[in-house]
Amino acid sequence: MGGLEGLLSGFQVAFSVEGIIFVFIGVLAGTFIGMLPGLGPISAIAVMIPISYGFDPTIALVMMAGVYYGAVFGGSTSSILLNAPGISGTVATAFDGHPLAKQGKAGKALAIAAISSFIGGTVGIVLLMLFAPMLASVAIAFGPPEYFALMLVALTAIASLSEGSLVKAFISGVIGFMFATVGIDAQTGTPRFTFGMTNLLSGIEFLVIALGLFALAEICFLIINSFKEKNNIHQNIGSLKLTKSDLKEMKGPATRQSFLGFIIGVLPGAGATIASFIGYIVEKKLSKRPEQFGKGSIKGLTAPETANNAATSGAFVPLLSLGIPGSGTTAVLLGALLVLGVQPGPLLFEDEPTLFWGVIASMYIGNVFLLILNLPLIPYISKLLLIPRPLLISLVITFCMLGVYAISFNTFDIYLLLIFGVIGFLMRLARFPAPPFILSFILGGMMEQSLRQSLTISEGGLGIFLESPIAMALFIVALLSIVIPAFKKKTIT
Amino acid sequence: MLYKNERVITLGKKWGLILVFVSMVTLIACSNNNKAVSGEWSPKESIEVVAPAGAGSGWDTTARMAAKIFEEEGMIEQDIGVVNKPGGGGAVGWAYVAEKAGNPHHMFIASPPIIDVPLNGQSQYDHNDFTPIANVIADYGAFAVRADSKWENLNDLFEDMKKDPSSVTIIGASSPGSMDHIQFVKIAKEAGVDIKKIKYVSEQDGGTLTALLNGSADVYSTGVAETIEQAKAGKIKVLGVTSEERLEGEVISEFPTVQEQGIDSYFVNWRGFFAPPDTDENAIDFYVSKFKELNESEAWKEIRKQYGWDEMFMYGEEYKDFLDEQKEESEQLLDELGILKNE
Repeated sequence: MGGLEGLLSGFQVAFSVEGIIFVFIGVLAGTFIGMLPGLGPISAIAVMIPISYGFDPTIALVMMAGVYYGAVFGGSTSSILLNAPGISGTVATAFDGHPLAKQGKAGKALAIAAISSFIGGTVGIVLLMLFAPMLASVAIAFGPPEYFALMLVALTAIASLSEGSLVKAFISGVIGFMFATVGIDAQTGTPRFTFGMTNLLSGIEFLVIALGLFALAEICFLIINSFKEKNNIHQNIGSLKLTKSDLKEMKGPATRQSFLGFIIGVLPGAGATIASFIGYIVEKKLSKRPEQFGKGSIKGLTAPETANNAATSGAFVPLLSLGIPGSGTTAVLLGALLVLGVQPGPLLFEDEPTLFWGVIASMYIGNVFLLILNLPLIPYISKLLLIPRPLLISLVITFCMLGVYAISFNTFDIYLLLIFGVIGFLMRLARFPAPPFILSFILGGMMEQSLRQSLTISEGGLGIFLESPIAMALFIVALLSIVIPAFKKKTIT
Repeated sequence: MLYKNERVITLGKKWGLILVFVSMVTLIACSNNNKAVSGEWSPKESIEVVAPAGAGSGWDTTARMAAKIFEEEGMIEQDIGVVNKPGGGGAVGWAYVAEKAGNPHHMFIASPPIIDVPLNGQSQYDHNDFTPIANVIADYGAFAVRADSKWENLNDLFEDMKKDPSSVTIIGASSPGSMDHIQFVKIAKEAGVDIKKIKYVSEQDGGTLTALLNGSADVYSTGVAETIEQAKAGKIKVLGVTSEERLEGEVISEFPTVQEQGIDSYFVNWRGFFAPPDTDENAIDFYVSKFKELNESEAWKEIRKQYGWDEMFMYGEEYKDFLDEQKEESEQLLDELGILKNE
């Protein structure tokens, strides 16, 4: 069988000395890139393209893929420790990861994140290996109407992300939507809410809002609280060890989200971010103690961390089996392949079996490396929190500014970051939750575009949504996830 | 000024060891000759090349490849740093370079959007605000449909569109009024389609090909390179390419041109380098001679072949006249579409 032979030759490449060295370089670079907000896998891979010219294509792709999933793996660290999500795929990680760190369980939170990432990533690779050629049809099943429906499902998380007032959660979400409309409208080319400023033409960068609303707002609170009281919450890392009951809690979400995250990752354009949010709400809905979510729930941390890594493996399905880039990062990977003289496309599987299977095989090794790299590093990384408070605060502020500046080397983004820091602080004071804001900001742009693309295609008719069985099924899921909790509440009271 | 250049260097440092190592090897390998030829002016500090789009885009790739060859072949001795300034279809990067007026250590890579985007009213700067250095390559557009589509050639498609333009959905990655849209509109107009009624959907998150394959869109307007593998695998049919003559190479030589189907039109996605406003003539002369050298080098020929680009070398008055012609043409099209913004 060609497939089996291909797989074997793939493993041969992956287990060669060269293969092992370069997968190690890739995941190591990826881990650090993921930890630093602002440096994303996209720019890292783009910079590697001219360097890798002349490399063996398989080896180069093995390394670049390592950077990609390594960054998603390592991205959880700053979310947990500093409440500063570095990439959009790890925003949901901060919801429960940071509260855990605050409770003095930073070590444990990081260990949970690393193990969940490993499980999600590895299960994802197994699925990728078994089903990649077959899943190709799933990858193209989603057109604009189906994406709109999927975004709507993810958006119902707003109700789940609110602690306390639902009205305040909705207000926060609507404001997030409003900020998503800033910039040139893709369907008409008209600038919206840019006030004549060139810097706003491309809209507001995700990282600016994430670091402002989460990290800077947190810092403002730390500063103000430090005048009031001397608390030692942050001074404790806690044990790294997971108890049996911890593992038991992780089991459910890790299993479910490995599969769900992978499937969402297969859809081009959806990716790790959507997978992590959907993973989070699904687990909250299934949990017997949903009230713990947002306050340091182990399930709430396991779910997004498993899902985003499984989704990253899933994103390789359309890339390797169809030559379709599913995300910004895979688009750059596609470009890299072209430079290396490999034509990525539906024939890659047949034309370049060694490359196809080599990359997949190397991902197993990469994930093992990531686990053994990350676990022993935890005690050292979490010592960050032992840095004296004033120094830590100044470091985080500098770190956020650098991260934002590194996106496009534009000082304007730094001012925006500070503005969102103030907005985030005021929101906290008034008890408006920030997660719905960032969720609808991330989804808003894609949701609006897919709605309007659908309506352009149908010339304004809503029938386009009713004709699609996938979209209809998703609409029903969205409806149920809003109606059922409301109904439950009524019957209880 | 100094500060900016330091940044270019630190940018390199981030990618540290590998980059340093590679450049050291190449430096040793190429430490032969090539002193600056044009005696009048040569760069005194590192050169910053702006790609006004994200990493991995066409602009970014062209700029990084040119920078790489300039350095590796030792054509330019100073460091060349490529910096991404994405946003506004290019407007953010252009505004940045416009501020560098008179500074010969900056340049950016441009293509048809520098003409179309200002005409759409999205940029206050257009090609006249900068100093064109040289054009280096040409790329072409392609129009693809699903393999099982009822249309066998462009005339079939345009016959249907003449009857009912809005019965066909066109998808592309650029915003309306920019490249993927304009190249289709230009050809369709020549074929006699009412271009005001063309249904164009912009998909900027990488879902264009997916939308074509699953039937959400009927025609995919894109660059030739994007269609090759899918056509080879029999997933899509390329109804026409916008080059004047058949392209050379495996698979692409089978793509019919627009002209051979009786539609007297073409579209070139030219790419060239521009300097900031009011750049000294001597500096421009220096760069023109360097780009000439690049254009003729074996290494660059190899790159062109790799990406399927054509040679299209122009500079000086010839280039300026070409740009003005392009502008006039776009102006007419956008006016007819009703999206031209007059100042």
